[in-house]
Amino acid sequence: MIGDILNIISNTLISMVPLTLAGVGEIITEKSGVVNIGLEGIFILSAFTSTVVTFYTGNPYLGLLVGVIVGVLSGILHGLISVYLKGDQIIAGVGFNSFAYGISLLALVSLWHSHGSSPSVNKIPMIIVGSLSFSPLTIVAFLVGFAAWWWLYKTPGGLRLRACGEDPRAAEAMGVNVYRVRFYATVVGSALTGLGGAYLVVGWIGQFTKFISAGRGFIALANVAFSNWNPLMAIVGGLLFGFFEALSIYIPIKLQEMTGRVFTAEASLFRTIPYLATLVVVAIIMKKVKMPRALGKPYIKE
Amino acid sequence: MPNGELVGKAFEIVMSLAIAFSVGAIVLVILGYNPIEVYAILFKYGYGNVKYLMNKSTPLIMTGLAFAIPSIAGVFNIGGESQLYVGAFTALMTAYYTNNPLLALIVGALAGACLGWFIGALRVYRGINEVITAIMVNWVFFYVITYLIAGVFYNPQRPHESIPVPENARIKPIGDLSVIFSIAVIVALAYYYLLYYTDLGYRLRVSGLSPSSARYAGFDPSKAVLTSMLLGGAAAGLGGALLVLGITYNIDDMLSAVYGLGFTGIGIGLLGRNHPIGIIFSALFLSGLIIGGQWVELKTGAPPELADTLMGVIVIALAIPYVYRMIFRKLAEGRQ
Repeated sequence: MIGDILNIISNTLISMVPLTLAGVGEIITEKSGVVNIGLEGIFILSAFTSTVVTFYTGNPYLGLLVGVIVGVLSGILHGLISVYLKGDQIIAGVGFNSFAYGISLLALVSLWHSHGSSPSVNKIPMIIVGSLSFSPLTIVAFLVGFAAWWWLYKTPGGLRLRACGEDPRAAEAMGVNVYRVRFYATVVGSALTGLGGAYLVVGWIGQFTKFISAGRGFIALANVAFSNWNPLMAIVGGLLFGFFEALSIYIPIKLQEMTGRVFTAEASLFRTIPYLATLVVVAIIMKKVKMPRALGKPYIKE
Repeated sequence: MPNGELVGKAFEIVMSLAIAFSVGAIVLVILGYNPIEVYAILFKYGYGNVKYLMNKSTPLIMTGLAFAIPSIAGVFNIGGESQLYVGAFTALMTAYYTNNPLLALIVGALAGACLGWFIGALRVYRGINEVITAIMVNWVFFYVITYLIAGVFYNPQRPHESIPVPENARIKPIGDLSVIFSIAVIVALAYYYLLYYTDLGYRLRVSGLSPSSARYAGFDPSKAVLTSMLLGGAAAGLGGALLVLGITYNIDDMLSAVYGLGFTGIGIGLLGRNHPIGIIFSALFLSGLIIGGQWVELKTGAPPELADTLMGVIVIALAIPYVYRMIFRKLAEGRQ
């Protein structure tokens, strides 16, 4: 019993990392007034590039770094489109998701002649405390959440960023360069998402697979709404959604142990748990949240 | 639509396609393929077989509408994917148990409509962003229907497939005419009429353009959200029904024949500029890319996801009409 609980806690701590990192990143982006629904695409693209780099160098930390760089580049693209070219942010995000999925699989086939998954790569070692195991990135995710909260709410820079998302015209009048703040916020948000994507491979699964992100980019977006745009709550949200994911893995294994039956077809039913839970949680919480007022609207100087 | 606006829109689309094929060529070169050869195969085989092209584009016209109609009313329906799954599945069940293709089409459309309404209702009554809801719903139904096909309604003779659509409930082409494609075109025309020539269509369009003007004019924009999601969901559901009754006659246990059609519909809606007639053409165009992509794989080994890549770039490029408008204005000024 205790062993089961520790097992679920460990898996929760492992699953929460990408949801928290991308959630906190997206909070920073959205607080500035830009929405990026391309998180799923960033996850896929940075997971893939970090697999490639780790495979050829054998160094998972380098893989992690490249994942962040790919996140930065994605953020630059989304920032250019959303901020400077005043494009439709949602459409750009949808396009990016499709592009990232397509190009990663194109590259997967051309590199490894496989339509499903890459070879295994080295992983960042887990931290083991008693019977608990988790990744060092779990600690990073907690720290990132705290730091983002402190920066957003306790520093003048954070105040300026929030002003851009609430009332960009007033922010401009105060002497804030709205374009620049929004652009950097988008890049930082995407960099954190890139870190989360690279973690999927080098911190957790150990190889790139076709459906590696499996909607986690959107669960991270749900986490943003759940947290009411507060990075501290995004840590809680990451743990909560991570817990549901851990359950969806744990329940079928446990059932199999207990009954001796192999659940092949039913396994897909258990996989609905995190998505159903996300829907229910968001449906209960959402009514009370307050999003940045200028979210998703391009700022056009007069 | 005034002439200048139409030319402007055509210019945006041409620019987006040009950007997409240029980026695609760069990607191909980096991956070690010859882009000219790949594109030649893509276009030659993609658009070579008109009958196949019409069949292939049928569900895509419907998922294109599923995205476009809610878009016009101001809702971003990314749930065409699951609306198509439930349409395909319920139509299959109805056809199997009643042998009645017409009833199966109706049930498929209704199932899609219910799911569309549900996503709209969560936005209207609970204030949840429809993008998040729709993605979660997509995954839930992906796994539930995978389970139903693999675990309950599988074909005992071929366990990786569902029970089949019975012979007399299948929708076959009449001579060279694809019946399912014709149904899709008729539905698109009906949606066009509804949007631009009826009071309901007017309300949907006004609510999408400006919810506050809609409220001022006495319409309820929430109703527009729900109605447009009903209409959009019905289209996607019907698309799934047409696919199962007219093309695949069963669903495989990985859902490989239905997966992705809803997402592609987003690209089709955007490329067709959310206009029902434009959607027919953009569905034909993108179907050609998809078919061509499969041939490219056969001939050169480049994976069919090339089509996803190109579509992604097309969609990204379509997100920035502001730039094209600026270029277009500069060009127009230059000519004067």
